[in-house]
Amino acid sequence: MNATKILQQGRQPMIRFLGKRTTPSKVDHTPHVHPASPSQSLPESFASYRQKAQQHGPLNQNSKFSTSHIGASPGSSLGPVEAGKGTFFDRSELPQRFQRMAWTEAEIEAIESGGASLHA
Amino acid sequence: MFRAVASRAVPRAARPVTQSTFCAPSIYFQGRLRRGYASEAEEKDLVIIGGGVAGYVAAIKAGQSGLKVACIEKRGALGGTCLNVGCIPSKSLLNNSHLYHQILHDTKNRGIEVGDVKLNLGAMMKAKETSVSGLTKGIEFLFKKNNVEYIKGAGAFQDEHTVAVNLVEGGETTVRGKNILIATGSEATPFPGLTIDEKKVITSTGAIALEEVPKKLTVIGGGIIGLEMASVWSRLGSEVTVVEYLGQIGGPGMDKDVAKQAQKLLQKQGLKFKLNTKVVSGDADGEGVKVTVEAAKGGKEETLDADVCLVAIGRRPYTNGLGLENIGLEVDERGRLIIDQEYRTKIPHIRAIGDVTFGPMLAHKAEEESVAVVEYITKGYGHVNYGAIPSVMYTHPEVAWVGQNEQELAAANVKYNVGQFPFSANSRAKTNLDTEGFVKMLSDAETDRILGIHIIGPNAGEMIAEGVLALEYGASSEDVARTSHAHPTLSEAFKEAAMATYDKAVHY
Repeated sequence: MNATKILQQGRQPMIRFLGKRTTPSKVDHTPHVHPASPSQSLPESFASYRQKAQQHGPLNQNSKFSTSHIGASPGSSLGPVEAGKGTFFDRSELPQRFQRMAWTEAEIEAIESGGASLHA
Repeated sequence: MFRAVASRAVPRAARPVTQSTFCAPSIYFQGRLRRGYASEAEEKDLVIIGGGVAGYVAAIKAGQSGLKVACIEKRGALGGTCLNVGCIPSKSLLNNSHLYHQILHDTKNRGIEVGDVKLNLGAMMKAKETSVSGLTKGIEFLFKKNNVEYIKGAGAFQDEHTVAVNLVEGGETTVRGKNILIATGSEATPFPGLTIDEKKVITSTGAIALEEVPKKLTVIGGGIIGLEMASVWSRLGSEVTVVEYLGQIGGPGMDKDVAKQAQKLLQKQGLKFKLNTKVVSGDADGEGVKVTVEAAKGGKEETLDADVCLVAIGRRPYTNGLGLENIGLEVDERGRLIIDQEYRTKIPHIRAIGDVTFGPMLAHKAEEESVAVVEYITKGYGHVNYGAIPSVMYTHPEVAWVGQNEQELAAANVKYNVGQFPFSANSRAKTNLDTEGFVKMLSDAETDRILGIHIIGPNAGEMIAEGVLALEYGASSEDVARTSHAHPTLSEAFKEAAMATYDKAVHY
């Protein structure tokens, strides 16, 4: 028994119960290199994509628009929406997704026939 | 609506992000070609391309987490390479060919006398197919149970949120997803100069479906897949020669002592090896397949004649027809999709897991990633320990390992202790008359923390689970050694190897 006592005092098991698994309170979501990546580096495109996309969401954690919760900074901090004095918007100069789409013959036909041409 | 009355030279707009575009210009062009109709299908929370181990596990997990999920698979059966033409059918053949071989050669000394033993290859293949179809149908059931929409077809990116699907039964559909997961897996790398026909020049897919036992079989590549298939056909009567470019079998991850022992045991079973040998050319025009080889460092050429040649030089990520170019996703020099630590590609809502991206091409690694990626989507946090992923070769005896091998530790200048225990000193192995192999454990010289475990022996693939757990928990070899293992079991060899690492084994 004494031998066991001595043994237990001398040895601290490396396996210990650490408690129930929990999600860490702070998780860094900025892109880092994948642990199994052989190159140990992320291509520039990861940062540049986020740079481009940051106006649409809190992708870029380091950006001033998304340092805290949604709505933390007022929309006015993005700058004026109105065109400056002497400047005017032209619809054709907007990104393509804001421009009118051309109707195809099939679509015109479908509307004119009340959808019947889709089943013809 | 707006008309430019000022000079065109005036800046177009005053907003600070005029040049920003949410996605590549080509996508806008595509988007413009697609008009939204009211009848369009609802957007899914997660669309998974690929119903292999990575894809189907993620689909089930996502269904369990309450996500609206669709899984696209073009094979017509779920389970991917692993279930249909890989791990599962090969294990069926390995198990049954081992039984056949054992009945032929290893019964008399066990007191069993058998009469005429005949091989019925057709029935053996049917047993394999029964196992496979049972498992794949099981996944379809699990899909239904977990509300996963199963779309049979080939998916291709139309834009960053839309996947166009060419349906197997004809027709097309599109599916939109808030998140998209690429899990398209891998395919066998072909050998330049040899056209794969899956009859004479085969990959692992053809090797599990040969209609007759080839008299002679040449295997290019002495890795795990090559050696498993070599074992099957050798047991069934083929004369098998394995050609390997490196100086050891089993691939670079296998410990050198284990590789040496495995080679010795496989040679004893009748396999022939040509190590440090490169294949110069192959010719399948005649009746058989001629493979010309020479020493890797240069030397005299030699021609190997065979009825069938198995090309098992590795696998490569499979992204053909996925439309990656439509969304500008990048692959590395080996065709792997580039991802970050949360499996995100550069487009954050498109993620990739399994063989199509980094890490070892193993089904259980893909499975771990499937759970983690769904957790990243739903909880923002996931877990895969790439340092504790086991590898198993299902030959006889089996080979299994986890963590680092001796040559890796030596190269990294890490001081370590080695403990080894042979199965010939294990009581259960003795009673089973199956005593070949050993357990080898490597631990840090200073802290005794386990760094690697390498097993060659009966049931090594099952036994390694204990090693993976030890590594995951950061156990010391003494922790394992002081844990009670049932007697008489093969796992006692594991405990004794741990004892030998920090002190001395009792029975050796």
